[in-house]
Amino acid sequence: MEQFEQLLTCAICLDRYRNPKLLPCQHSFCMEPCMDGLVDYVRRQVKCPECRAEHRIPYNGVQGYPTNVTLQRFLELHIEITGELPDPTSGQIMKRCGVCSEKAYVTSCVHCEKDVCSDCKGAHMDILRREIARINNQVRRALHRLSDMLAGVEKNMLTLQQNCTSVTEEVDEIYRRLAKALKDRTDHLRGEIDRYLTTELKNLCNLKENLDIEISNIQSNCDLADKHMQSDDVEWEDSELMDAKEIFLKTVDFIRNFETEIGDYSRRAKFLMAHDPNQLVMHVASYGELTIHAPHQAFNASSNSLQAPSPGLMRSKSDHRLASQYRQDERNAYEPGGEIGGRVSPLGGRKFGERYPSRYSRGDRNDYDADTTHDNENRSSARSRIRSRLGRHGLNENTDSDTDSRSVRFSEINNTVHRERERVLDTEDVAKGPLSGITRLYDSPRVMKRLLESENKDKKADAAPKSQPQPAVQQPKKITPQPTPQRQLSEDDEIARIKRQNKTASTSSDTERRDRVGSIKRDDSRDSNRSTSNTPADSTRRTSNVPEPLPADTQESSESESEEDSVEVVEPRKPTPAKTTFPPSTSAATGDSRRSSTASDNIASKGNSRLKSTRSDSIESTSSETPGTPVRRNAGGTFPSEDVKQSPVSSSSGSTTPRARFSSVSSKRDSATPTNSRSYSVTGNGGSTSKKEEIEDEEEEEEEETETSSESSETDTDEDSEDAKPKTPVPKAMEKTDIGPLLARSAQARDNGSGSNSSSRRTSQDESYTRSRYGTSGYKSPSSYQSPREADTSTSGSKYLNNTRTEPAPRFTSRFLKNKSIQEENPSKPSYNSDNKYTSDKGGLSRSRTSANLEEDLPDDTNTSTYSPYSKNHYGSELSRSRSSHALKSRETSPDRPVTNASAGTGEKDGAALSSWARYLKNKYGNRGKENAAKDNAAASSASSSSSRRLSLGLPLRSNSTHVDSSDDDQKNMQSSPTSHTIIEAGMQGVGSTPRVQYLQKRQLLFKIGGRGSEPGYFTWPRGVAVGPDNLIVVADSSNHRIQVFDNSGKILKDFGSYGNSEGEFDCLAGVAVNRIGQYIIADRYNHRIQVLDPSGRFLRTFGSQGSSDGRFNYPWGITTDALGFIYVCDKENHRIQVFQSDGTFVGKFGSNGNKIGQLEHPHYIAVSNTNRVIVSDCNNHRIQIFDVNGRVISSFGTEGSENGQFKFPKGVAVDDQGYILVADSGNNRIQIFHPDSTFLRAFGCWGSGDGEFKGLEGIAVMSNGNILVCDRENHRVQVF
Amino acid sequence: MSVLPRRILKETQRLMQEPVPGISAKPDEGNARYFHVKVTGPEDSPFEGGLFKLELFLPEDYPMSAPKVRFITKIYHPNIDRLGRICLDILKDKWSPALQIRTVLLSIQALLSAPNPDDPLANDVAELWKVNEIEAIRNAKEWTRMYATEN
Repeated sequence: MEQFEQLLTCAICLDRYRNPKLLPCQHSFCMEPCMDGLVDYVRRQVKCPECRAEHRIPYNGVQGYPTNVTLQRFLELHIEITGELPDPTSGQIMKRCGVCSEKAYVTSCVHCEKDVCSDCKGAHMDILRREIARINNQVRRALHRLSDMLAGVEKNMLTLQQNCTSVTEEVDEIYRRLAKALKDRTDHLRGEIDRYLTTELKNLCNLKENLDIEISNIQSNCDLADKHMQSDDVEWEDSELMDAKEIFLKTVDFIRNFETEIGDYSRRAKFLMAHDPNQLVMHVASYGELTIHAPHQAFNASSNSLQAPSPGLMRSKSDHRLASQYRQDERNAYEPGGEIGGRVSPLGGRKFGERYPSRYSRGDRNDYDADTTHDNENRSSARSRIRSRLGRHGLNENTDSDTDSRSVRFSEINNTVHRERERVLDTEDVAKGPLSGITRLYDSPRVMKRLLESENKDKKADAAPKSQPQPAVQQPKKITPQPTPQRQLSEDDEIARIKRQNKTASTSSDTERRDRVGSIKRDDSRDSNRSTSNTPADSTRRTSNVPEPLPADTQESSESESEEDSVEVVEPRKPTPAKTTFPPSTSAATGDSRRSSTASDNIASKGNSRLKSTRSDSIESTSSETPGTPVRRNAGGTFPSEDVKQSPVSSSSGSTTPRARFSSVSSKRDSATPTNSRSYSVTGNGGSTSKKEEIEDEEEEEEEETETSSESSETDTDEDSEDAKPKTPVPKAMEKTDIGPLLARSAQARDNGSGSNSSSRRTSQDESYTRSRYGTSGYKSPSSYQSPREADTSTSGSKYLNNTRTEPAPRFTSRFLKNKSIQEENPSKPSYNSDNKYTSDKGGLSRSRTSANLEEDLPDDTNTSTYSPYSKNHYGSELSRSRSSHALKSRETSPDRPVTNASAGTGEKDGAALSSWARYLKNKYGNRGKENAAKDNAAASSASSSSSRRLSLGLPLRSNSTHVDSSDDDQKNMQSSPTSHTIIEAGMQGVGSTPRVQYLQKRQLLFKIGGRGSEPGYFTWPRGVAVGPDNLIVVADSSNHRIQVFDNSGKILKDFGSYGNSEGEFDCLAGVAVNRIGQYIIADRYNHRIQVLDPSGRFLRTFGSQGSSDGRFNYPWGITTDALGFIYVCDKENHRIQVFQSDGTFVGKFGSNGNKIGQLEHPHYIAVSNTNRVIVSDCNNHRIQIFDVNGRVISSFGTEGSENGQFKFPKGVAVDDQGYILVADSGNNRIQIFHPDSTFLRAFGCWGSGDGEFKGLEGIAVMSNGNILVCDRENHRVQVF
Repeated sequence: MSVLPRRILKETQRLMQEPVPGISAKPDEGNARYFHVKVTGPEDSPFEGGLFKLELFLPEDYPMSAPKVRFITKIYHPNIDRLGRICLDILKDKWSPALQIRTVLLSIQALLSAPNPDDPLANDVAELWKVNEIEAIRNAKEWTRMYATEN
């Protein structure tokens, strides 16, 4: 039986056969791990472990061998006989464990989302358990927080009730008093009236009676007289007659003289109110208000309803706003701090997983909304609050990285508990925490089942074990759900809460406020509209007032160095100071602009908020914005160009600011939709402006439009930059005068905080919309020659946004650095610029495009992730946008200059500005840097000057002649980046053409060196290759552990080095470089060090050792040096580039493991162009990345594949003096050549061992005469083309 | 360090359960891939009576590559150098995954009984072995006595 078993045992794994494969020699082995491991892939054969017979592998691999069916039957039989359990792993396929990379039967692990073996999975489960335990502990520890809160809430409820009752009593009391007073008074008045009425009536009655009597008396008298007196019937005595006559006379007299008192006829009582009754009613109606204090959060809801302008109205007005309010409420409800007040959110509890998205996207927006509104209404009072809040939110938003990290953390936790995707424990019908959405584990059917099972098991088992397992199972599961929520509350929310607390006196108040804000918002928005309309007028007025001093100022400021600027800028940050810095006119302008900006901001923000909800809304916002802009415009038309300029700029900036801000935010985030909508608004702005102008001046129309757009764009830029580093505007050497106002505005914009998004991006997307208006604006983009820099800066700014509020300083520096880097890069960029130029003509499109281009040019580490040129359209646009705006910014600066009209002066200024960074460069890089800098400078300066010229032209034109402007645009476009262009073009056409043609002709092998062997002139796996002085060919003969040097015809000159780890010895060296003085710099791979040898091969020094800290290596591979002698090392296994001084002093490093832009995975080779572009073959990411010398990504190109321009494990890279990039595409066994702008030129080579064929390319180098050297590793030779 | 493959476990178990006569191999406590090996000198060989200590290490890709084996005890043998390195084809190019620790050790034991001076590693020893086998054997015995005998 034992032998039988042995027969069923694979000799390799010593296990029962699994899918036995029969070799031609009749020996059988398991297919999966065993036979697989036997394969000699190089020779494509299998050597039988039993008899050592070698068998060719079938075409489709080892599975092509026949299955040993007999053996399988035996196996089955054996199983039947012995009753042994079937192999649980049968039928499964072995794979590499994602964690330990052992071959094993893997199952997918929810923890790491990889297919892992059971051991690793167990480990992960343990980790999870531990984490759960840990988190549970945290939960437990922090649970009291909830209970505290609960107690607090209960207490609060009590106090609230008390408070409410007392307030009600108070109100009742007041009511009673008021009612009594009213009643008393009313009674009194009534009594008076009654009395008056009765007396008057009495009097009148008397009078009436008397009159009646009189009338009857007189009547009778008259009758009597008629009857008896006139005739002689009756004898009258004379005395009687006399008396009668007297009587009649009296009567006549009486009647004549009797006059009624006026009162007799018109007696009436009048009721006079001491106060205007309406007012009184109002007073009474609003005889009291409820001030809801922070502590009584519960009141909030009621307060809302209590407030006079009922939300209902608002609701009808704008549903989205309402929705946003709801959202806000919701958000409040979710507020980590567990503020219960806000929890009455109409939308109800959120589900567990939704939290993040909702929170960030919604919450932020809402906040913005709120902020804006707030700002508008009670700016002064609310400001501080807003600020703080903004700060917080800003933090939230800007710190996207922060947030990310947080969320990441969070998600990790999530993971530990259960992955979001397959959340097993999350079921709909489970009781959930209303606030946190945490499921009650006990209610989860799964958990119940589990527990039940374990219980059953326990019952079966002994009593002792029973208790044990159950808790074990139970605990983790049970705990699971809680931790998550807990986490939420405790960590994130706590942090948030703490922050909040710090910022505001009490969290609760915040919530309340928010609610209020929500209600107020609506009003505000209306107000803002109004204000907008008003503001423009103001601005205009002020603008008109602006005296001449401006130009002078401008000059001064422009001349002043960047440092000054920075100071100024900093000041402006707080709006007021900015004014002080600048001449009165400016300040006035600033103020105006600020105001307008505020208004516009508000609008914009409003727009944003609306935009969020709907596009149509966005349009609305646009329209709302329009008034502001146009007005400004008008002002511009009316007034001298300078004034105009400023005002428009300011206005535009104002409007733009929010956007810019947003853009930065957006860039981090992927809120595409909102952005778009916003872009609309922006566009609308520009467009509206232009429209107005049209109306005003048809002639000027074009100009104006351009200007407007340009200005707006400029503004954008400024604001972007400012936004990016609100406090540290410093870097903008170029922006001088304008900066102040802009800054102020930007500051405000910041305050408003409504993220205004990337206008450019939107523009691009909504080109049609924008185009007409923006047509001219496009020209700006060309100007962006400098813009790249600025754009970079902006990007950096955005990057630093997180810190922005708090730490201005860092940004400052960063910016500088960037500038520098950009500057260096400039020369290489010209092509882009040219593109821009051409695009510019097209207007809106161009603009968007430009941004994209810029983006390409300056992909920044920060944003880079999505950033690759390819992603331009999508993600890129956002980024690009900010950048472009920056470019524009630079432009903007120029406008001022034009005012001065001294183009030369402008140039100087630019030069100065440039020089500052040039200087910086110089400092950093020494003389050599100077050269470069100078060159770059020249390029940059020329570019800048051109732009300045442009500007100068443009601005004057603007003021003077419209037509010129348009032409100017063209000119500008043409001139914008002249230097760079010329350089490039020169490179391409003049010198460049040669290499190009040359490269195009490359294919023919010139000669080859070596073959396998260890004798001089032969190689064993040559890897690095370099070109030394006099076109010496230096080859790192890796497995011969030596350097070999050949002359330029391939004749061996010398070789040096041997195996070992002491000085001058190598262990599988990889990269080699030769510096300008002929020293050899060698990446001594397995010794994890760099060695420097003198030109004769004598050891000079070594540095580095194995490790991952600075200055240590893990298999250093490619190496290169730049003209300054800096040494760049591909620290392959550390996935980074390290930079050293020529003496081995660590300078810096960049890159980390990953496939995002700026990250590297097994960087193999590196090259530095004479424009200081660092080209790295990011081997396992199948791409080439280009960095500046500071490690910021300039661009990245290539994807995995075999098409032109694609790579498979690109290894060697080289760059010629024209900037052409050569890549040894090792996986495709070809050499690819790229233009300096990274576009594909050509490729040649294929797999094989013949001439011009390769097997496993390694290093590549290019000689000064254009000959290409490439190490053909598996053919053990160097080929020269 | 990844998990120990089943094969190593099995081999280890079997080595402990059914030890090969004259050979003992015990895994190191700290490293299951490292074995402390003791081989007795085969009878009728100059190494008879000696107890030779070896170390055996199973590399990461074992059994696809051969274990690393080295004599710790000094031994006078044409195929074993001063450092204890062994010139044995199955430890080099003739390795087969079907071989096991026990077979390797058996082969080494066999190598002791049948030195092969024509494929030498220790040149001086091999030279002597070829030129003057008696002398060489005497040396070997001497060394065995000196180095490979306990006490």
